[in-house]
Amino acid sequence: MHTLKLLSSFFKVNVQMSLAYRTDTVVNILLNLMWLGWELLSLNIIFSNTTTLGGWGFGELIALLGVFRLVNTMMMALIWPNTEKFNQSIRDGSMDYTILQPVNSMFLVTFSRITVWRIWDLILAIVLIVVGINITGDATTTLNILTFMLLATTGTIVIYSLWIVLIALTFWFTKFDNNVTILHALLDSGRYPATVYPVWLRLIVTFIVPIAVATTIPLQALRGDLSPSQVVIFFFVGVFSFIIATRVWKAGLKQYSGASS
Amino acid sequence: MLLIIKRLWQVNWAEQWQYRANLLMYLLYWLVSPIIYLAVWTSIANQNGDVNGFTANDFTTYYMVLLICDQVTSNIVIHTFGYKIQDGSLSGELIKPIHPMLTNALINNIAFKTLSIIGFIPIWIALFFLFKPDFSNVALSGILLAIPAMIMGFFIGYLLSAAITALAFWTTRVYSIHEFYFALILLFSGQFVPLPLMPKLVQDIAQYLPFQLFLYYPIQLILGKLSTAQIIQGFASGVVWLGISMFLFNLVWRNGVKRYSAVGA
Repeated sequence: MHTLKLLSSFFKVNVQMSLAYRTDTVVNILLNLMWLGWELLSLNIIFSNTTTLGGWGFGELIALLGVFRLVNTMMMALIWPNTEKFNQSIRDGSMDYTILQPVNSMFLVTFSRITVWRIWDLILAIVLIVVGINITGDATTTLNILTFMLLATTGTIVIYSLWIVLIALTFWFTKFDNNVTILHALLDSGRYPATVYPVWLRLIVTFIVPIAVATTIPLQALRGDLSPSQVVIFFFVGVFSFIIATRVWKAGLKQYSGASS
Repeated sequence: MLLIIKRLWQVNWAEQWQYRANLLMYLLYWLVSPIIYLAVWTSIANQNGDVNGFTANDFTTYYMVLLICDQVTSNIVIHTFGYKIQDGSLSGELIKPIHPMLTNALINNIAFKTLSIIGFIPIWIALFFLFKPDFSNVALSGILLAIPAMIMGFFIGYLLSAAITALAFWTTRVYSIHEFYFALILLFSGQFVPLPLMPKLVQDIAQYLPFQLFLYYPIQLILGKLSTAQIIQGFASGVVWLGISMFLFNLVWRNGVKRYSAVGA
């Protein structure tokens, strides 16, 4: 309850901040629509030359685009702005005040900045997923859709956990401004099924920077490609990565000694 | 003048060298998309035998050469210059007797490119062994022709980006305008896919735009896919676009500087 209250007040503060830049919001949404147009055009170009991509149909790639945009929105609306604020607070020592608050510091650091207009992007992502599933048609069962939703959430948690670990490293190496660039750089790989990538690239996006865990794998669940045991494994990977991230964050906090000392 | 350029080079080289870790990250960022497109299209070509006559090896060689052309012809002037107009730090440069955009910022960009190409070479070699492209059709003459074509492409791209950057004299939303320009490059340069695979309309428009001179044209030169007439046509349109982009840049820059009143004035 407490957490929800905090979240809603963070949201209110961020809405107020963004109201100062109304025209920018409109411009950003227009640009966002432009990129959506480009993404649909590029899928159209691909599918005018082939019927399947790595065995996946057009509808599945639309749904994948939706899931990709979900992760992308998390990147743009939460990860970028909060990381920027966090890096700044480590450099100038204002992290002190964050730690002093009687709230979980990890929560405070990762949710205090929200790029509000991206809510629009979130809606668009969900529309794409629904449309994609509809194009795919009768092949999808309710169970498939449920495991898809479960694994999409799990994948998001995996990315969130990796983010925590990356920014926690800043406690040890103060000048680590590039902490999330690697995540951002590989993000684009989530647009297409990882199954079409060469083995080395598939290994990177599955195990090292697990973009595919949040994009390709939920879609595989939707297609019914995953066995029940695989679903369970991915679920526990999500749980464990979150536990590890929390541990690393706590260890990092112990390491932190303020900017002046 | 030569001495000035030498000094500017030293300063800018030192500045870029300081950010070499950042640079590696940028490099990674640039590499990812072409590698993904390569993987996507070779997978389609392998599955169907070919895509409109393009074999898997055609795609591999295309994107491997694209990585090189992109390194040479792209620029980062919007990021290194845009903020100077906005926060007023341009004032100090304007009183110097050299052109801020055509000397200092240009040399800064070239220093950045030189450094990133040094970092890029070993990565390209590693990718070469991973993807094993068959370059048996590439002739020395194509590479020799592509060098001036890429330099021309770089200057056209630089002047156009510089003109857009100079719009910061009027608007704070210059980054949004640049994002739109970036999408045009993506659409018309052959970055996503070789232009013949784009919709007919896009191909037709691309003929009248400078963007294919950044990537598609030099790539085709290196791969030896162009007839003599096409080669001459490409260079001719390059010269024309060089003139147009120079004119556009001067127009925006002159009017912008007249309008410029630094923060605090």
